[in-house]
Amino acid sequence: MELTAESIVFLIMSAITLGGGLLVVSARNLFHAGLYLMVSLLGVAGLFVLLSAPFLAGVQVVVYIGAIAILIILAIMLTPSVTQLPAIFNRQWAFNLALAAFFFVLLVSVVSPIMGELGVDAWNADFTQKNPADVPADSIVNLGKDLVDPDKYMLPFEVASVLLMAALIGAVLLVSPDKAKADEGGED
Amino acid sequence: MDNFFDLVPLVVMIPLVGLLINLFAGRQLGERGVSIVAVGASGMSFVIAVLLWIAQVNTGYEAAVIDMPILSDWIVIPSANVTIPWAFRVDTLSVTMMLVVTGVGTLIHIYAVGYMHGDERFPRFFVYMNLFLVFMLILVTGNNFLMMFVGWEGVGLCSYLLIGFWFDKPGGVGWKNSDAARKALIVNRVGDFGLVLGVLITFWTFGTLDYYREGEAPIAHHAATDAEAPLFAPTLPGEEETHAVSGPLGVFNQAELWLEEGGHQVNFGMVSLSFETTLTVITLLFLLGVTGKSAQIPLFVWLPDAMAGPTPVSALIHAATMVTAGVYMMVRANVFYHAAEFSSFVVAVIGATTALVAGFIAVGQWDIKRVLAYSTVSQLGFMVAAVGVGAYAAAMFHLVTHACFKALLFLASGSVIHGMEHGHHHVSHGHSGHHDDDFDPQDMRFMGGLKERMPVTYWTYLFGTLALAGIIPFAGFWSKDEILLDSLKTGVDKGLLSGYVGFVLLVVAAAFTAFYMWRQVSLVFLGKPRHAAAAHAEESSRLMTWPLIVLAVLSLLIGFINVPSGFPILGWLLGEHQFTSFLEHSVTYAHAGTFSFLLATFAVLLALGAIYLARSVYSDRVLATLREDPLAINPRTQRAFALSSAKLYWDEFYFKYLIYPYRNAAYWLAEQLDWRFWHDYVHERLLRDPFNAATRALSGRVDKQVIDHSFDGLGHATRRIASRLRRIQTGYVHIYTMSVLFGALLVMILILLPLIRDWLGL
Amino acid sequence: MSGVPSLSDLNLAATLPVSFLALYACLLMIVDLFVPRTRKHITAGLTMLGLGIALVLALLPLAGAARFGDGERAFGGMYIADSFSDGVNVIVLITALLGVMVAYNYLDRIQRQRGEYYSLLLFTTLGVMMMGAAGDLVVVFVALELLSIPLYILSGFRRPQEASEESALKYFILGAFASGFLVYGIALIYGATGVTDFEGIWAAVEEIVAEDASSKYLLLVGAGLLLVGLGFKVAAVPFHMWTPDVYQGAPTSVVAYMSVAAKVGGFAALVRVLGSGMVNFALDGGLVAAWQDTVWLIAALTMILGNFVAIVQSDLKRLLAYSSIAHAGYMLIGVAAAGSAPVADEAARAVIMYLMAYAFTNVGAFAVVIAVERDDASNTGLESMRGLAVKQPLLAASMAIFMFSLTGIPLTAGFIGKWFVFKAAIAADLIPVAVVGVLTSLISAFYYLRIVWYMYFESGESEAHVPVPLAWAISIAAVGTLLLGIFPYLLSDMTHKITLAFGP
Repeated sequence: MELTAESIVFLIMSAITLGGGLLVVSARNLFHAGLYLMVSLLGVAGLFVLLSAPFLAGVQVVVYIGAIAILIILAIMLTPSVTQLPAIFNRQWAFNLALAAFFFVLLVSVVSPIMGELGVDAWNADFTQKNPADVPADSIVNLGKDLVDPDKYMLPFEVASVLLMAALIGAVLLVSPDKAKADEGGED
Repeated sequence: MDNFFDLVPLVVMIPLVGLLINLFAGRQLGERGVSIVAVGASGMSFVIAVLLWIAQVNTGYEAAVIDMPILSDWIVIPSANVTIPWAFRVDTLSVTMMLVVTGVGTLIHIYAVGYMHGDERFPRFFVYMNLFLVFMLILVTGNNFLMMFVGWEGVGLCSYLLIGFWFDKPGGVGWKNSDAARKALIVNRVGDFGLVLGVLITFWTFGTLDYYREGEAPIAHHAATDAEAPLFAPTLPGEEETHAVSGPLGVFNQAELWLEEGGHQVNFGMVSLSFETTLTVITLLFLLGVTGKSAQIPLFVWLPDAMAGPTPVSALIHAATMVTAGVYMMVRANVFYHAAEFSSFVVAVIGATTALVAGFIAVGQWDIKRVLAYSTVSQLGFMVAAVGVGAYAAAMFHLVTHACFKALLFLASGSVIHGMEHGHHHVSHGHSGHHDDDFDPQDMRFMGGLKERMPVTYWTYLFGTLALAGIIPFAGFWSKDEILLDSLKTGVDKGLLSGYVGFVLLVVAAAFTAFYMWRQVSLVFLGKPRHAAAAHAEESSRLMTWPLIVLAVLSLLIGFINVPSGFPILGWLLGEHQFTSFLEHSVTYAHAGTFSFLLATFAVLLALGAIYLARSVYSDRVLATLREDPLAINPRTQRAFALSSAKLYWDEFYFKYLIYPYRNAAYWLAEQLDWRFWHDYVHERLLRDPFNAATRALSGRVDKQVIDHSFDGLGHATRRIASRLRRIQTGYVHIYTMSVLFGALLVMILILLPLIRDWLGL
Repeated sequence: MSGVPSLSDLNLAATLPVSFLALYACLLMIVDLFVPRTRKHITAGLTMLGLGIALVLALLPLAGAARFGDGERAFGGMYIADSFSDGVNVIVLITALLGVMVAYNYLDRIQRQRGEYYSLLLFTTLGVMMMGAAGDLVVVFVALELLSIPLYILSGFRRPQEASEESALKYFILGAFASGFLVYGIALIYGATGVTDFEGIWAAVEEIVAEDASSKYLLLVGAGLLLVGLGFKVAAVPFHMWTPDVYQGAPTSVVAYMSVAAKVGGFAALVRVLGSGMVNFALDGGLVAAWQDTVWLIAALTMILGNFVAIVQSDLKRLLAYSSIAHAGYMLIGVAAAGSAPVADEAARAVIMYLMAYAFTNVGAFAVVIAVERDDASNTGLESMRGLAVKQPLLAASMAIFMFSLTGIPLTAGFIGKWFVFKAAIAADLIPVAVVGVLTSLISAFYYLRIVWYMYFESGESEAHVPVPLAWAISIAAVGTLLLGIFPYLLSDMTHKITLAFGP
């Protein structure tokens, strides 16, 4: 087993990700769990960097850590009664463990056969692209172009924009006070 | 649209399901449930028949052969290279029959709901009725002679069961009923024997029993285009399809090919017959079957007695559908009959003679249903004679119209009987001292004047009578006229004796028809009531009158489906010989009749004359004091009437020369062989004692505890399982999430079964 | 390819019904701002107008009267405008039209007459149409979200009422969970094939099968996860648990629409992905696709569970929820049949026909529930149908037609749908599942006909009221159900052009 610099970084990042995840599920304080989640997500961002995908790494940090995790923490702070969990294990832990183990085995068993085909068959594999020229230098530019290229992802892009608008309406609708009720109340 | 032909198994399956439901759950369902199931099953079959008809129209009348999904290889003997599939045939002929069977059948089912109301064996009745539909539909939809035979035997069984349905009626009637049932069964055995032999020889000759193979078009050369056209066109339409089919052809096309080649010999072991002779033998044997099922001379004697069954049965089985199976079979086999001239001649003579003889006997009957029974025999004679003179379309046309108006007449007579029984009930309760043991609700001598008491029945009956008598524009006119004209044309154009003989006999029979029908109308409905029961008769319930009205309308209108060519105005308005054109797609030798004004006028005038005669013989004055039939008193007609009344001593003849000698032989065999050896020794010692023990155990444990409770148990179990499943539905999101996970797990395991199998090395 | 995309590259005309409706929906949202609160019938009318125009635009190519655009592909193959998508469009647009009709009075009655309802309805309709026309897994996912998110919101539309909000939340959480599976599945499929468009997948699958490459298992797992995600949408067992709760809690007018629309979308995507993209995915030299067994087992499970549990339901909305689960099973038979390549087209046609029949019937049945429901969402028990035949003979007759159709009795659309699905199953040699289908149909007669029994044979005081647009919806649905049942060739002619096959 030969360790290259990349594989060491990879192992560290993996450790951060997995360790964070483990702490999320084992922390008794929900607030702490939220913080650990951020750690775990940070590890994922590191993996993206390792894979020469700096844009995705940035998105990971901005969206997941910056927005989603913060949102979760805010939600936890607003509901103090459930902050402290009584026990680490609930009644279904054994089953859940088995389920998780199953999915793990499943994934390994279906992914490992094709590792060879991808040219990744040992721990000392080069986790970066073999040929740096293969890595598009301006991947963000390409991504942006692809999103509005009619031959690539223009349609999903447009649909997603409509979807966001629908979600926006929904959000407004869900939080808006029921004016109809209030109006009637006023007339009475 | 081709897909809808695949529906055809449902035509049979739906009544089957209906009867199974009624068989197992009849008691739980109650009268209402049973009738809904039975009528619903019949009605749905009709709907499917209609769908098939629409599909036929939409696909340009192409015939389709549909395999039953499960029974596709019904009988397969690989070593002998025998394959008889359970295949349905949808073509214009079978669709016509399906429509008649299910359509009239449904109306009669509805009527029967009213008629059988309160009968203690109500569910059983409808089980039998649906069973009858199943077999009848197998008979008409099968694509081979063996399926036809299965249906043929099945309807015979139902006929037997239903004739004897009231086997336990008190006062000697019950005995008569079961005797009648047995008589029908035994007489039909003789006919069936002929049919079996015919089917066997057909199989021997052709190596198959299929009418046509799938995708095989009938080799058609319509006689309709030109009576003198060469029988075999040089290039056969539908040749491509014929060649696309591998293996042997269906029997009819094979027959055509052999006939065209000429000189084909059929080898029966030691003897070898020419193909034409073989066909004659086959057709004559089939004819024997027809004389049994369709009640022709010499085997017609069972049908009048079969009227012992409930009236809906008489209408459905013994007038509209089952008894026409013979006609259907001969039309189906029209290729054979067309080729076998001698057989056709015999068929024509038998049919026409039967028509005349039965018409004559009908004049002398007093029982309202018996008159109709002989009338049915007579009309079946018309159809058979039509087949004999080659008028296959006319035969089918008469079959259809007759199904409507004869069902109507029977149902109406049932309504009369119901009314009479009701009146009698009323009378004998009203005057406690009043007793007349002679009273018979079916005897027309006790009736009279029912016109006022039962107006709906009267009017519908009148419609049926006019249709049967052949008065324009009722249905019977069109079909009967076509048969008469076709017989005459066969005689004149082709110079065949059968045409002349048939024509003369049938014309006389038609006159008799009009006469006895008007006699019946006069005796039943006109004049004044001759018995207190008639005076107090009441109209039947609406369940019974509605089918009458529908059938009455049909009796008026159904004839218009086949207006002969050349008929002024109507032909242009409704299209000429529509029905024949429809049939031509499946009946190779169907041909359309032209209209002869002279003959039609003659036939109508003859019928009107006969009605006038009947009216003057059975005038109101005579009816008022009726004790004996005026014809029986008049010295000039006395002997003829006595002969008619005694049914030409036909039964007596059979008894003296067939049954008694046979019975004597049977007695001897029974005494010596059966009683001494079989019964005393084998049966009692070896079989009865052990069997009794087994039965006791079975009836106690199995029947009472297992079978009786199984149906209830099924329902309970379903509910129990269902409510247990419902308990899983708790409303908690995390449990639902868990279940989605579980499901995902399940899907993963299922979809990765190949991988798992690899792992395990399986 | 030129660097600068132009409109003609898009083949935008081919997407006419969808793009028109998308624009229309956005405009309507703005127009609605200027419609006063008391005059929302204008918004409803405009919605129906837009749907009607889109319906005409969808019907024209289906009837062969017109063809928009240049070829079937638009947006570089992301959008497929073929007979299948036309069929999906027609079904969902009809459903949406009926959905607006049943909603208008209902919203008045629950005092939630708001323009957003109609906008959201249009958006979710768009989502369904996109799913039918998707040519790429990415589009499938985005369209699925476009279909789902408005539905989550609509489920909670009756906001102050707890049941409605609860159902929306449940639907949202579980739906998001299922979407996760879908994305995972898409990712794995991408991992196995390196592409996301169906044609590319088809070609890649061909290669994988030919080489027996080990990525076949990855592909299998991907297909399985996809099945989970879409199975949730169509309420297939074992992903059905949300259905009864959501159907019961959500406003009935929403349920009427979504019980059909979500199914249309889900099945359209299933048929596209499995029946078209992976139809050639046969392992070990087999002739049928590797996913077929799984799908038909799920179909059988779904039919059995749906029908059995429906028997004991005493609430109309719950009963219809289980009934819709059961019907998902019947449609899954069609999807399973699409796993046999020679039958794939026939099976796709069968699914479309079934959906068409189901659209009329199910919206109609829920519309009747709306008619008997009280303003406070109560009175949806079975006993509310008692004596309906006396009070409202036409309403009862319509309901009877819908029940007959759901049972699959001849002369109704439901029978024709079942007929074709079973036929496809038999053609694909899936006889056991067809048998299960027939048997469970028989069982279903028990609870459907019980409703008919209640209406006609039991006496009671029903309090149905049928105001005008609702009455239209019910009559259109009833007439449609009968029409398709009596003239089945309407359906078969409509769908006979559908072909899904890629490659030679």
